[in-house]
Amino acid sequence: MFHWLERNPFFFAVGVFIVIAYAGIVTILPDFMNSARPVVGTKPYTVLQLAGRHVYIKDSCNACHSQLIRPFKSETDRYGMYSLSGEYAYDRPFLWGSKRTGPDLMRVGNYRTTDWHENHMLNPAEIVPGSIMPKYPHMFKNVADIETAYAEALTVKKVFNVPYDKSGMPKLGTLEEAKAQALKEAEEIVANMKSPEVKEALKRGEIKEIVAIIAYLNSLK
Amino acid sequence: MNWLNDNVNMLALLGAAAIILITVFVVAKYIKQMKEDKSTGELAEENWDGIGEYKNELPIGWSLAFLGTIVWGLWYFLIGYPLNGYSQIGEYNEEVQKYNTKFENKWANPDEETLMGMGEGVFFVQCAPCHGVTGDGINGKAADLTVWGSEAAIVDVILKGSKGLNYPLGEMPAGLLQGDDAKAVAAYMVEKIAKLGKSKNPDLVAKGESLWAVCAGCHGQNGDGMGGNSPSLKNYGKPEFVVDVLNRGKAGNIGVMPKFNDGRLSDIQKLAVGKYVNSLSQ
Ligand code: HEC
Ligand code: HEC
Ligand code: HEC
Repeated sequence: MFHWLERNPFFFAVGVFIVIAYAGIVTILPDFMNSARPVVGTKPYTVLQLAGRHVYIKDSCNACHSQLIRPFKSETDRYGMYSLSGEYAYDRPFLWGSKRTGPDLMRVGNYRTTDWHENHMLNPAEIVPGSIMPKYPHMFKNVADIETAYAEALTVKKVFNVPYDKSGMPKLGTLEEAKAQALKEAEEIVANMKSPEVKEALKRGEIKEIVAIIAYLNSLK
Repeated sequence: MNWLNDNVNMLALLGAAAIILITVFVVAKYIKQMKEDKSTGELAEENWDGIGEYKNELPIGWSLAFLGTIVWGLWYFLIGYPLNGYSQIGEYNEEVQKYNTKFENKWANPDEETLMGMGEGVFFVQCAPCHGVTGDGINGKAADLTVWGSEAAIVDVILKGSKGLNYPLGEMPAGLLQGDDAKAVAAYMVEKIAKLGKSKNPDLVAKGESLWAVCAGCHGQNGDGMGGNSPSLKNYGKPEFVVDVLNRGKAGNIGVMPKFNDGRLSDIQKLAVGKYVNSLSQ
């Protein structure tokens, strides 16, 4: 009865593809335009936060931490409101992750603070007994790469029309302006930190990686 | 032979025996077929590199089930799913609503012990990462809750001041009183303002009362915080004060504690954790 299908392998393959892709077509396509738009209140990252995001990617935090809260009560109780796709509009690439060795970090800015991160990143097991998260003391030594972060911000602004410099949105300006702005944001964070090394570096105009990643983590809300 | 009385074990054993029996018969049948059968029948037209296929008609039941699934699939793809849109968020909302109603009914009038258990649970999940499992503040990284809320802590506040709860009066300056004077006011506050029971220095209470004017300027004669201008000291050492801290957050001399007003804790959970925190120091 179905020999005609077997005789046309290409047509058969196309048919199988459509049948399998159908669930995606029905659930994703109809609302795609809507859900891809930024949720009201979502802003692009500032240059300092973007530099922190690069540290996050470089040190592979996403190997152990997800950034996606699913709509289950057990998750929203612990992490807060479930994630909406529009919240990732300015994430390039998004850092959903696929494994939770540690907790989700989508909204960690709501319930952890600068001084806590400083202690925790230096030695997680001292703060959370038995934690298997590695120590990141090198972040207190390495200097954050503000130039690359600026380059990325400028690129997405020009290529994808990300609304930097629009009213109510983060300012980008020239590289010099962006550096001054990053330094100002770093000062606010360092005021809540204790490490003398980091404080002295900031006086010299250097922003350590730990400052950038805390700026990023605090922005996750 | 106790384990044979268990139905699950029994079923599993019977099933295993049946599978072995059927396998033996089926294998025997095919071995026999391989030995004796000759290839007969009509070949299908398609042929891949010399490998052909006999035209064996599908059994009727099989093709009916197959066609039925296709018809159902078409209905489900085109009408069933798209028009009766299942929504994950909708299911989530229903789940949360059901849970909340159940939670409220179950814990409408919790007794002391239940509250304490709930408070302990909340503490380990939400507070222990900063305050430590025992509440000691992990070597000064957060408030030491085994002391905070006690008479000794009041003396400490008078000596060191306090800031960060974001009250209209702002900061409480350090060193308003020294030495025995500070202890005396703390004793008076414990017995007469917060009414937490007997003070550790009962003989200083009278002296404390005469010095209360130093505090009354900001906290009011009866310690009620003058209509929300400063924290109400009547609540000090009680769960209500902790609830207030949770609602306001605190950026103080030790570090920054975030607010807990994003709905992660319900009112009763805040009260419960407040009770638990107080039990650590009292
Ligand atoms: C080997 C896996 C692993 C890696 C890699 C890792 N973490 Fe973790 N992280 C954990 C675990 C496990 C916990 C839970 C225990 C704890 O709090 O220390 C945790 C906890 C955290 C928390 C606290 C979250 C909460 O809700 O309490 C933060 C913030 C965090 N990690 C940030 C980071 C950052 C930033 C990086 C990258 C620099 C990183 N982690 C890399 C395993 C990891
Ligand atoms: C200048 C006004 C002022 C005076 C005088 C003052 N307080 Fe306060 N007090 C405050 C304010 C404002 C706060 C809230 C501080 C904060 O934000 O942490 C506070 C907080 C407190 C707290 C709560 C601390 C905590 O752990 O949250 C205690 C206890 C207290 N005061 C006791 C006293 C006593 C006892 C005196 C008298 C010796 C006194 N205060 C005098 C303004 C004052
Ligand atoms: C991100 C870390 C963090 C978390 C989570 C946290 N706290 Fe705190 N908490 C702090 C820090 C830091 C202080 C000290 C603030 C200061 O005085 O500088 C503090 C202070 C306090 C105080 C004293 C406030 C005062 O007026 O002096 C109480 C009470 C308290 N926390 C209770 C809790 C409870 C209950 C929870 C859990 C529901 C909790 N905290 C969760 C960091 C945290």
